[in-house]
Amino acid sequence: MTPRDDRWLHAVFAAASVAIVVLVGIAVAREVHRPLTIDQRLVPALGVVDRCVTCHDEAKHPGAMLDRHPVERFGCTPCHGGQGLATSANAAHNAAPDWERPLFSKAERDAACGACHLGTNAPIATVATGRKALFDRGCSGCHTIPGIAPPDHAPELDGLRDKVAPAWVRAWLTDPAQLDAQHKMPTFRLTKPEIEALLAYLWTLPGAPLLPVPAEPQGDADRGKSTLARLRCATCHKFEDRGGDFAPDLGLAGVKVQPAWLWNYLTDTHRLRPHTRMPGFRLAPQDAADIAAYAAEQWVPDTGVLPWQKFDGDVEPALAPKGQQLFVDLGCGGCHLVAGKRAPPSAPALDRLGDRHVADLPLPARGRPPADVPAWVAQKVQQPTAFDVPSVQRARMPTFPNVRADEALALGIALASVHAASPPETWLRRHETAPFVPPPGETGQLVARFRCLSCHRFGGQGGDVSRVPLDNVGARLRQSWLEGFLRVPVTVRMDQPERMPVLGMTEAEARHLAGWLTTVFGDERIGPAPAFIPGDVERGKSLYVQHQCGACHVGDGAGTMKGPTLDGARDRLEPAYVVALLQLGPDVVPERRHPEQRLLPDDARALAAYVLSLPVLGAVPVP
Amino acid sequence: MRELVKHVRASLFRVGWPKDERAAVKAMVSSITLHIHSPKVRPASLRFRATWALGVIAVVLAGMLTATGVYLMFYYYPHPDVAWRSMKDLAFVVPFGVITRNLHRWGAHAMVAIVTLHMLRVFLSGGYKPPREANWVAGVGLWVLTLALSFTGYLLPWDQLAYWAVTVGANMAGAIPWLGQPLRVLLLGDMTVGEAALLRFYVLHCVLLPLLLFGIVGFHLFRVRKDGGLVTSEHDPASDRTKEGHRLLPSWPHLVYRELIVGLLTTAVLLLLALVANAPLEPLADPSRTPNPAKAPWYFLGIQELAHWSAFWGGVFVPAITVLGLCAVPFFDRHMDGVGRYFPRERRVASGLFLALMTFFAVVTVIGTLFRGPAWALMWWPN
Repeated sequence: MTPRDDRWLHAVFAAASVAIVVLVGIAVAREVHRPLTIDQRLVPALGVVDRCVTCHDEAKHPGAMLDRHPVERFGCTPCHGGQGLATSANAAHNAAPDWERPLFSKAERDAACGACHLGTNAPIATVATGRKALFDRGCSGCHTIPGIAPPDHAPELDGLRDKVAPAWVRAWLTDPAQLDAQHKMPTFRLTKPEIEALLAYLWTLPGAPLLPVPAEPQGDADRGKSTLARLRCATCHKFEDRGGDFAPDLGLAGVKVQPAWLWNYLTDTHRLRPHTRMPGFRLAPQDAADIAAYAAEQWVPDTGVLPWQKFDGDVEPALAPKGQQLFVDLGCGGCHLVAGKRAPPSAPALDRLGDRHVADLPLPARGRPPADVPAWVAQKVQQPTAFDVPSVQRARMPTFPNVRADEALALGIALASVHAASPPETWLRRHETAPFVPPPGETGQLVARFRCLSCHRFGGQGGDVSRVPLDNVGARLRQSWLEGFLRVPVTVRMDQPERMPVLGMTEAEARHLAGWLTTVFGDERIGPAPAFIPGDVERGKSLYVQHQCGACHVGDGAGTMKGPTLDGARDRLEPAYVVALLQLGPDVVPERRHPEQRLLPDDARALAAYVLSLPVLGAVPVP
Repeated sequence: MRELVKHVRASLFRVGWPKDERAAVKAMVSSITLHIHSPKVRPASLRFRATWALGVIAVVLAGMLTATGVYLMFYYYPHPDVAWRSMKDLAFVVPFGVITRNLHRWGAHAMVAIVTLHMLRVFLSGGYKPPREANWVAGVGLWVLTLALSFTGYLLPWDQLAYWAVTVGANMAGAIPWLGQPLRVLLLGDMTVGEAALLRFYVLHCVLLPLLLFGIVGFHLFRVRKDGGLVTSEHDPASDRTKEGHRLLPSWPHLVYRELIVGLLTTAVLLLLALVANAPLEPLADPSRTPNPAKAPWYFLGIQELAHWSAFWGGVFVPAITVLGLCAVPFFDRHMDGVGRYFPRERRVASGLFLALMTFFAVVTVIGTLFRGPAWALMWWPN
């Protein structure tokens, strides 16, 4: 051991000691740098420990959201994401290997609302839109989606061979947009052999046998057109480019459907299509023949060749087994009932997309990788083929027509609101009332036959063709008027294009339904009938002017048609309802469209007395 | 007051600061902490290249791991519901929680590496030969214990990394014929990694294995002294016999000072590591979300790589024969030629074979760690 060796050792000793002192100093400095007091909000039921409030002042939260969602009860991260446990901004806000849920994007925040706000009427626009679209687009036909019923609007395929020509099916499966620019069915990107196989299978499906069309009476196309107008078919169907889009365009459907099938369909709708949304019309043979004649004349292009006729050719029955397999594989039976049965889900259940991380989902082969789950869904819906793995797997998801970007994102938001485990029951808000179940017996049969629920809403359920929910219809309308309306629906709301169709009810049926509606659909907010006193009508007339009722209503032959006409209201409206409306405001009005008047009881009674004194004028405008 | 200080000091330290060699020797034998060492030491054994200080580093690491481990135990709950949350508490609220966990994590990895290198050094210098056979076997045992401690500690954070690494490790153990499945169930307390496994690993990691380790370390150090200190060469020019006669140096201060410096350097390096790099943590363990590929801890990835080729031959036979072979070596290779030097001509077969074995394990470990991607497919570019 030489002194030189020792000098060397001393140097290392000194250096190591200094290094340790410096490093410990750095460690202490880091500790001191942390916030010394940590403020946090605990929500044990949600497993939430949110220390966000250490830095963020909850009193400065924008908007009024915290009035209904106090931080003490909801925490921060259930709505905003991020890591509530963290005590540094970086760890709290950003993703890390140990924390895959950074702060939510706008779309993810909406989806987070949807985790507690269930139902299609959830008060978040994107969530509600998305949930409705999941049903309308038929997503729930192939995927099991909690809270979304399977679609009911795809036509049944029984007896398809009686309804359309093979060429039409070929054209439709090749490119439906060519036949109907507004088509709803997605395209499955089928090859020609696949289409032939499917066609062969569809042609094996038996339907209810067609009755022979009698030679007499002969149909007349002009009379058919006026019959369509008289029955108000345009409320749902478009023809000659006018009318609703709730049902197929008659200009297009007319040429596709075989006349014999159409005649059978119109004379007894539900015999051929027991699950259709269309009311059970039982047209007279003459009317049916006229409409069939009208339909056959429609949309003949200049060439004289219908767009699908070039797809002509024989059906090859031997391909049916292959077509049946394809029918199952593609999941056609998820939307289209066959023999009244729906096929089981053919695609993965979408019951926990809200728990998934976008990094775990398959990446699209093309385009930018989506930033979050809603964006991933949107991309998948808009470009299903972008998720193909070349030569390995063809995307099974069909291409949906005319999907706007905002609708696609809403779909993603709705799906990202679905979690495997719901929040505790006390956190949930169900924005949907219990489904309306029609009563048994004759009433139920009538409701089913005339398909009231296809257009009208009862308790938040049902179709949205009609703007008038039937929830308190019995308290609003007089039974006698309702009975007449069911038989011959006069127009009350001039401003709305949707009109009640002429359903062809018998007097007994109309009386039965009117009695049921006025008995069952009451409203406890509407009191007993008012007792008018002399002078009410005169005072009411000046109140009518004073409150400018004529700005929306027609009364005594003058005014505008924004609201229902008031001439003849005495036959239509229950006096108690009119008083309640004027006193309580729009809460009792369907659609809540009436302005907020809230008159004093005396004034309400007087104005009601005047309105109910108005007689029916000679000429009620007919559309 | 000065009297009091004097009395307290005198009661603690039986001899004063040594002023000559005789006092130094007396100091060494009269203190329980210093008496682990022999009072005098050969100059050759003090040279850095004689040991590369690996044994001392291992002991220092064991001490630091014990200290940091006890601190971590104050905040850790061995139950799946809260174990991962404990990591979050360490990260966000516990004073010095982050650096303590980092020190423990990097110290554990370092200890696996250092103990392995220590074994390599002892083998290459022939340190397993008579009369040191038993101590070599004890050393092999310590090496296995170090791996076991690291492996049991790996599960405790209860994140995805821990959960699946231990699942893979337990499955590899399950490949042992006959014994495998019972052993696996004994280890996990269940058929899969769950709350029973976490509790067992916790007890093993914090109680049983450390006690065993301390006991064997005591034996190991005691035998180093009793077997005549470090193995030395007859021909080493620096050895006491040729140049400086039989003159030995007192351990105080020569050995003790060097050990102190090694301890300080080890601490400094580990502190630096702990300040620069955070211990890994992944999301909460989720049995329904298997990472692809699921990998064992890095020191078992060589075995996992071999097990990929053959579950029995690679995953069981090769590791078992390696450990048994290591224990058996001193009882077969007993000649004393070339002992105390690295790569002497007389021992080129033994050195070559052992280096080849270690290189083989190093290579498969690197392949398994860096070059295996999803589905255990080869990736030429590590990610």
